[in-house]
Amino acid sequence: MSTDTYSSRAARSPRTAALKSARWIFLGIGLVVTLVPFLWMLSVSFRTQSDLFQHPANLIPREWTLHGYTAVWEQLPFLRLVVNTFVFAGGATLLCLVFDSMCAYALARIDFPGRNICFWLVLATLMVPFQVTVIPVFIELFHLNWLNTYQGLVIPRATSAFGIFLLRQFFMSIPRELDEAARIDGAGHLRIYWNVILPNAKPALATVAVINFMNLWNDLLWPLVVTSSPEMRTLPAALTLFGGNHVTDYAVLMAGATISLLPLAAAFFLAQRYFVAGVATTGLK
Amino acid sequence: MSSIDVAVREGAQAPSRADRPRAARRWSRGRAAWLFIAPSMLILGVFVLWPIVASLWYSLHDWTVGAAQQPWVGLGNYTELMHDDQFWNALGNTLVITVVSVVVLVVLGFLLALALMGEGWGTRFVRSAFFFPTVVSLTSIGLVWRFLLDPNIGLVDGVLQSVGLPSVNWLQSTTLALPTVIFVDIWKTTGFTMIILLAGLKGVPQEMLEAARLDGASAPRIVRSIMLPTIRPTMLFATLILTIQSLQLFDLVYVMTGGGPVFATDTLVTKVFREGFVNFQTGYASAISWVLFALIVLVSALQLRFFRYNDVD
Amino acid sequence: MNRRILVASSSALACALALAACSGGSSDSSSGPVELTVWTGFTGGDRPGYDQIVKDFNASHPNIKVTMDVQPWDTIQQKLPSAWVTGQGPDIAAPSSDPNVIAQYVKTGSVLPLTATGTRDGQIDTAAFPKTLNDVFTYDGKLYAVPANYATLSLYYNKKAFADAGISAPPKTVEEFKADAVKLTKDGQYGLALADNNTIQMWPLLQWLEGGDIVDSNNCSVLQTPEGQNSLKTWTDLVVKDKIAPVGLTGAEADSLFSAGKAAMEMNGPWAASGFKDAGIDLGIATIPLAQDGDAVTLGSTAPLAVSAKTKHPKEAQEFVAYWTSKDVQRTFSKTTGFPPLRTDLADDSELAADPTISVFASQVPDARLYLPHVPNATQVDAEQYVPMIGKITRGADVASETTSTGAAIDGLTGCTSK
Repeated sequence: MSTDTYSSRAARSPRTAALKSARWIFLGIGLVVTLVPFLWMLSVSFRTQSDLFQHPANLIPREWTLHGYTAVWEQLPFLRLVVNTFVFAGGATLLCLVFDSMCAYALARIDFPGRNICFWLVLATLMVPFQVTVIPVFIELFHLNWLNTYQGLVIPRATSAFGIFLLRQFFMSIPRELDEAARIDGAGHLRIYWNVILPNAKPALATVAVINFMNLWNDLLWPLVVTSSPEMRTLPAALTLFGGNHVTDYAVLMAGATISLLPLAAAFFLAQRYFVAGVATTGLK
Repeated sequence: MSSIDVAVREGAQAPSRADRPRAARRWSRGRAAWLFIAPSMLILGVFVLWPIVASLWYSLHDWTVGAAQQPWVGLGNYTELMHDDQFWNALGNTLVITVVSVVVLVVLGFLLALALMGEGWGTRFVRSAFFFPTVVSLTSIGLVWRFLLDPNIGLVDGVLQSVGLPSVNWLQSTTLALPTVIFVDIWKTTGFTMIILLAGLKGVPQEMLEAARLDGASAPRIVRSIMLPTIRPTMLFATLILTIQSLQLFDLVYVMTGGGPVFATDTLVTKVFREGFVNFQTGYASAISWVLFALIVLVSALQLRFFRYNDVD
Repeated sequence: MNRRILVASSSALACALALAACSGGSSDSSSGPVELTVWTGFTGGDRPGYDQIVKDFNASHPNIKVTMDVQPWDTIQQKLPSAWVTGQGPDIAAPSSDPNVIAQYVKTGSVLPLTATGTRDGQIDTAAFPKTLNDVFTYDGKLYAVPANYATLSLYYNKKAFADAGISAPPKTVEEFKADAVKLTKDGQYGLALADNNTIQMWPLLQWLEGGDIVDSNNCSVLQTPEGQNSLKTWTDLVVKDKIAPVGLTGAEADSLFSAGKAAMEMNGPWAASGFKDAGIDLGIATIPLAQDGDAVTLGSTAPLAVSAKTKHPKEAQEFVAYWTSKDVQRTFSKTTGFPPLRTDLADDSELAADPTISVFASQVPDARLYLPHVPNATQVDAEQYVPMIGKITRGADVASETTSTGAAIDGLTGCTSK
């Protein structure tokens, strides 16, 4: 709300009028570059093969077909895959929110021995690509008997170094006076974490939730490594069945991609309202 | 002294460490801390840190998965990669990708976050649109971009031809392939950068902005003097994360070019993949990834230092 | 309120997972049919053909239950070695689309030598496989895999483009091939859709047509010999000077180019036929033109199907492999997918010969050659030497110097000793 007041006040000066039109041009070009590939993808999912190859540069289909979507529906245990993907992505995201914020709270607010080492260890896990750890992790899962199970799929992904890092940065910017005020009222760490830090960190928590959910949803390699039966697969992993070195059916591939994209786009659109909350100043005089 | 300067100075002060705790209190605080960090550290330790240590062990051997013997070679793998032209080529490509991508991403992401700070329905819609590339699956969008960039039948080629320009070999040219991959990487990651920086911008206290407006400050001044300093932690975070990710770029390259043409887009991780899973040289691949790891640690340490000691005013 | 829900759901989830974790993993089935798992990378259009084999086997063998898991090839590449080492892997797998990968698994003792061979029911009928296929899967006198499929390359051509250029019939010899390619390169159309990476191999076939090759029987490079250089130079001149083909295409891009009618010819396998027809091309399929010496030649491509050395059911696993390669199954498979049969005793099968697509591919099976068969470190030779070399010479690099340096590198990789 206050940003709208800001823009209407600023609109008076000619300099900021120029800024405004620059903003529109910038956004306009950005939108075109961003959305054209998706329009093409959506269009191909509805086109026949001959339409695609006779007019490959077209954005509007001339010959429509639902073959792409029906093939995905028929050839895959679709509902089961969607459930798997939600269990995996949703379950791991929820756990991430809890574990990441706890760890970030300790790193940001508690001065304990080994804190810096802890932080560097967390960062270090971001610095090695999955291709390097896949073999040892696979062997570990084998020893735990967790291959091809839900727990094997979710637990190793139940925390994210990215989330810990982002939340730590954000928690560090929450004024310590709020902590002090709660401590005067007799709160321990748990109470401060729950009543002071978390409510003030909604934008960051929403960001972590959305990004983790999205990464887990799109994660191909991890579900493929852990699962060895088609019923345990996630949707994006199962969609790889339609690809190949010599691709023949573009409509099906693009339909699969579109279907996979929609829940994430919806989740992001809905989560946006949580970005609104700024730093709380309640609790201070 | 304007309210802006006061705000800036206050915001720039880190929480003071003047009240240095006594050892006993520190240890009791430690106990509470262990509970908080336990789940995360346990999971990361078992499923990421331990495998990293295991890969160091592999890198000191001529390791092949399943072989009866794994001969010890000490630093042999490391000396071998020093003489490997492909390694140096991949290193160069990776550094170019990282520097260009991160700089462009932070600038673009910040400008987008700034331009889309409002909360109207239109703004939310436009933000969602910019976030689409980040959200879409990589294999699908890689395929889409390959098609769009096809020099004979792609949409981009169609547009070029319609304005009379010759068609361009984007991904098939040894000189243009890397810039094209960088472009698609930036295209895919701008939305991600935007929402990180947006979360940071949303943390700028409203009173500061109001006070600045009342003082009659212009928009660029507000950006420079209030927003940028306040989101420094977020900027650090974004730059660090983007750098770490860029140095490990694999999926996008693998899907779009496979490291070609003629290794023009080969990155360190595509090289690791090729050595480990195509040539079955797990030890050698682990050695390369440890060199990459050392590089990332070095770059991250430099970035943390730069952002902490950078001049405030 | 939201936080409570968050905590409640995540602790419930965590408890559930912890319980599941403590209760241990899967248990063996004590009685009932023997369960086998198969991993393959056969994604894409011909997947139904392989699914049918599994379905038919399960129907006809009530005491064995086979489940096939299809994953992308690079996932299998990452999982399979560890999976087989830990004994957690599939009983049967196609480790790669490249037959030479078997060498690695033989070296680590991960695959079972196939001993249930013979002509009786349930035995692997190796005598019916082409000799090239048996050879490529035999190490130290033991057979370690069977062909999961066998494809040859044929010449797809666009009949309309040919008519427009005034060419009445597809080329019969390599000289006609080259002349036609030049003639058909006009008005934004290429004569040939030629792929050099991530594709079924086309350049080796071009070399063979010109009388050149990559390595000899001692695994020493012959790229730098006059025949080798000439075989490459003839075609790079056509690409670089006459521009008969674009440079640097992947297999998928070459297919798209042909499907869009922007290239008049493409050498490709049987999997492409239906896609080209769907794209609306007036399609013709011809055998590969005769080589310089007048002989017929084409590229053969196969994927290995092997049994894990740690499988608990070696007898049943070999039964499945035998079934896969048996006569009736292969006849059905060919009819469904358009692949030529991999058994020599189906070469004269009337049903298959009647199909216009299959017959073209099947007729070339006797003349098919494999790419780098039994060459040590073949995948490295291909990915790190041959393919980049083609990439360089089609972009104008000097053939003589490139073949010399690549030849030396290849000799180093294959352990060539006769020089």
